[in-house]
Amino acid sequence: MTPLFQYAILAGLIAGTVGLVLTLRLIARSLGRVKAEKAKDVPFAGGANSPDPAWVRYHFHYYGFALLFLAFDMEMAFMYPWAVVYQELGLTALLDMGVFLLILFLGLLYAWSQGALKRQ
Amino acid sequence: MEIIGFIVSLLVGVYIVVVVEGWANTGTLRLAAPILGAIALLGQESPLPRKADRWLFEVAPLLLLVASVLVLAVIPLAPGLIVTDLATGALFINAALAYVMVALVMSGWGPNGVYAMVGGWRFLAQLVAYSMLIVMPLAAVAMRAQSLFTSVIVSSQASLWNALAQPLGFVLFVLAAMEVSFLPPFDLPDAPGELAGGVAGEYTGVRLAVFRLGRLVLVLALASAITTFYLGGSQGPLLPGPIWTALKIVAVICLMLAGGRFLPRLREETLMEWSWKLGVPLALVNIFWVGVTLLLVKG
Repeated sequence: MTPLFQYAILAGLIAGTVGLVLTLRLIARSLGRVKAEKAKDVPFAGGANSPDPAWVRYHFHYYGFALLFLAFDMEMAFMYPWAVVYQELGLTALLDMGVFLLILFLGLLYAWSQGALKRQ
Repeated sequence: MEIIGFIVSLLVGVYIVVVVEGWANTGTLRLAAPILGAIALLGQESPLPRKADRWLFEVAPLLLLVASVLVLAVIPLAPGLIVTDLATGALFINAALAYVMVALVMSGWGPNGVYAMVGGWRFLAQLVAYSMLIVMPLAAVAMRAQSLFTSVIVSSQASLWNALAQPLGFVLFVLAAMEVSFLPPFDLPDAPGELAGGVAGEYTGVRLAVFRLGRLVLVLALASAITTFYLGGSQGPLLPGPIWTALKIVAVICLMLAGGRFLPRLREETLMEWSWKLGVPLALVNIFWVGVTLLLVKG
C-alpha cells in the first residue's frame, strides 16, 4: 500500500464520518422540527442570564504552564526521530539526548523555583 | 473488506462502551440501553442557542468524532488486520488526539453560554496537563520498537509486554488517556454537578447524539491505543489474535470507566501542578529507564 493510497483511505473515512453525521441529522429532521417556544434557546446559566455575549476576556491563570508546555512540545518533535534510531546509535544517542533533556529539565526546575508552577 | 470489518468492530466497540458506562454509572447491566438511548436522542428536539457561533457549535461534535475515528484507523486488530498501517502511526495518533482539545474548545465557545465557555477553557488547561504524558511514554514505546508503525510496536512486545517492561510509562499513559477522554476524576470540561454539563450542556437531540458518539469512540480509541502500545495487542495463547485484542480492549475500557468513579474531581490547577511537578519528571525518568535497559538488554 503506497502512502498516498493510505491517506486516500483516511480521507475516505473522514468523508464517511461526515456522511454518517449528515444522515443522522436528516433522520432527526424527518422526525420533527423544533417547536418555537419562548426562552427555549437561552443557554443555561443556573437561573440567571449569561452575560451577553459570554465571550469575555478570560484570565489564563495557567500561562506559566503554557510557556513550559510550548518548550517541551517542541522538544518532543525532536524525540520521535531520535527514538526510532535510538538502538542503532546506542550510547551516543543516550548521551546526546540526555544532555538535551537535562537542560530542559533544569529549565523546568528553574521555572518551578520561580513560582511558575502554580495558579497565578 | 477491511473497511467493513472496521465499521462492524467500531459499532460493537461503541455498544460495549455504552453498556459498560451505564453499568459503571447505575450499577445495572442494561443491554438495550444503547439502542433505546440513541432512538430517544434522535427523537428529541435540538434547538440552537440564540446568538450562538453556529459554525463552531455544529462542527465541534463532528470534529470530536472524526478525530477519534482517525485514531482507530491506525490500530491493528491482528497482524494484517488494520485499516492503514501508516509509517508514522504512533505520531499520527498524537496528531489526531490534538484535535480533541480543538473540538472541546469549539463546543465551549460555540453556544455563547458561560458554563460551556468555562468548560472549554478548562479543557485547554487540561491539554497542557496531559499532553506531555501522552507523547513522552509513546516516545519510550517507539524507542523499544525502533519504529512508529503500530504493527511493529505490537510485534516488539513478543518477549515482554510494554506494561511490564515500562510500568511507569504505562501508568502515566493510562492516566493521560483518562484525561484526554475526560473521564472521572478528570471530567473537568463537562463536570456534571458543577458546570451542568459544561461543553456538552447546550447540546440536545441529534447534536448531543453525535457528541456522545464522539466521546464513546474516543474512549474506545484510547483503550485500543493502550492495548496496542502496552498490552501486546493481539498477542496471547490459544485464542486467535482479534479475540485477544478485543478482550484486552474491553478490560481496559472497564478499567478506565470504573476506575475513577469513586475519586473526587480534581481542580484544574491541582491537575496541572501534579502533572508538571510529578508527571513530567516521572515521564523523563521513564525515557531514561527505557534507554538504559535497551542498551543493557538488546531488544
